[in-house]
Amino acid sequence: MSVLLHLPAERTERPAGFGAWLMQPFSRLLPAAASRSSHAPALEAVADRMDQASQLWSTHLGTAQDQMHTATQTLLDGFTTILQELDAIVAPDHGGSVTASEVESRADTLAGCENRLRELLTRFSGFVESRDRVLGSVRSLSTASQNLAQMAEDVGKLARQTNLLSINAAIEAARAGESGRGFSVVAAEVRRLSTESGTTGKHIGDQVGRFGAQMQTVLRDADQQAASDQQSVQSSGQIVNEVIEHMNGAVSGLNQRAAELRERGAMVKAQVEQLMIAFQFQDRVHQILDQVRQSMSQAAQRLQAAVATGHIPDPAEWEALLTAGYTTDEQRSATAGGAAQAATSSSSETTFF
Amino acid sequence: MAKTILIVDDSSSLRMVVKLALTRAGYDVLEAGDGKEGLAQLEKAGKVHLIVSDVNMPVMDGIAFVTEVKKHPRHKFTPVVMLTTEGQDAKKEQGKAAGAKAWIVKPFNPPQLLDAVSKLILP
Repeated sequence: MSVLLHLPAERTERPAGFGAWLMQPFSRLLPAAASRSSHAPALEAVADRMDQASQLWSTHLGTAQDQMHTATQTLLDGFTTILQELDAIVAPDHGGSVTASEVESRADTLAGCENRLRELLTRFSGFVESRDRVLGSVRSLSTASQNLAQMAEDVGKLARQTNLLSINAAIEAARAGESGRGFSVVAAEVRRLSTESGTTGKHIGDQVGRFGAQMQTVLRDADQQAASDQQSVQSSGQIVNEVIEHMNGAVSGLNQRAAELRERGAMVKAQVEQLMIAFQFQDRVHQILDQVRQSMSQAAQRLQAAVATGHIPDPAEWEALLTAGYTTDEQRSATAGGAAQAATSSSSETTFF
Repeated sequence: MAKTILIVDDSSSLRMVVKLALTRAGYDVLEAGDGKEGLAQLEKAGKVHLIVSDVNMPVMDGIAFVTEVKKHPRHKFTPVVMLTTEGQDAKKEQGKAAGAKAWIVKPFNPPQLLDAVSKLILP
């Protein structure tokens, strides 16, 4: 819907300030119409058009206000949600960030892990030492088995000497003749015993030898195993150190990253809070537009009355009508002909009574 | 225990902004959309330690609201901070005469509001 006002050219010339233009004498705005009663129908038509335009503009202003209010409310709700989410991430008591106590707790956990691993290593070393002690005992047995071999050798030597002695005894018995026959039997028996003793000693020596050889094999294997175990213990210790170092690095990196995130979160939170504060403009704009709507309606009514009664509002009445309901300094400043300063920054002064 | 502040303003977005500033500072907040609603909130509320009120509101404006608060047997000593787009001295005088303790012109910044609140709030 379009509303066309066919006004003379001079009426559309605006002085420097719109407020001042509105405040100029009404007779200058409608000089011909006001002075000539023959133009009364045209005046009424102009007033009607003005009234229609006023209502239409008022409706549009209302729509704009509603949309701005809804959008601002939605934005504020969204920012409030963002702030709550940021609180959950940044605030120390919500678990999302790393507090000093949490860092300490992580360090304690890490130290606990290190202790457990070192305890495991100590147990492993203890096991190796225990095995070495057993091997020491086995080595003692090896020495004992060597003694046994020597003893078996001694037994064999005794058997050989006894055998030699029995041979000598048999010779002496033969030399004694009939009287030595009994002695000859004894000598033969001693010889048989010495032979058996020699055989037994040899068996013992062989057995002890095999036992000793197996013992040496076992000890050699055990020595190799001990060397391997020792290497494993050292290697395990090194791995544990590397793991701990790696974990320390990882946890330290995590802590640092968490601290960075917390810092950035706090910065974003501050920005969002500032943005929410900036939404105070909506209240201010709403009040200005409200006044414009009321003023337009009242001006249209007053113009209708002027056409009907012929009583044109004087400048003072017209100004009072247009400025009624002002709530901000920028409205007053604009009406006075100055530039309307947008109140973008907050007033820093508080008046205490 | 957190202290309670009543916010009276016809703009819900402005109430939200003021509420944000106050709740993040640790205060509990009650809300009302005009002076009449504000009086109803005071009637049913327990102790209210401070009131933050707009001036230009429908139904009952801020000046009339403060005047009524000062007649209230339980809340007549509750300090009132006016938070408004009005910066004229004449309006401030009206607020002072009605019993307000401080006057802040919108747009405000939170530290400014919190400073006034901390200076005036009841123990």
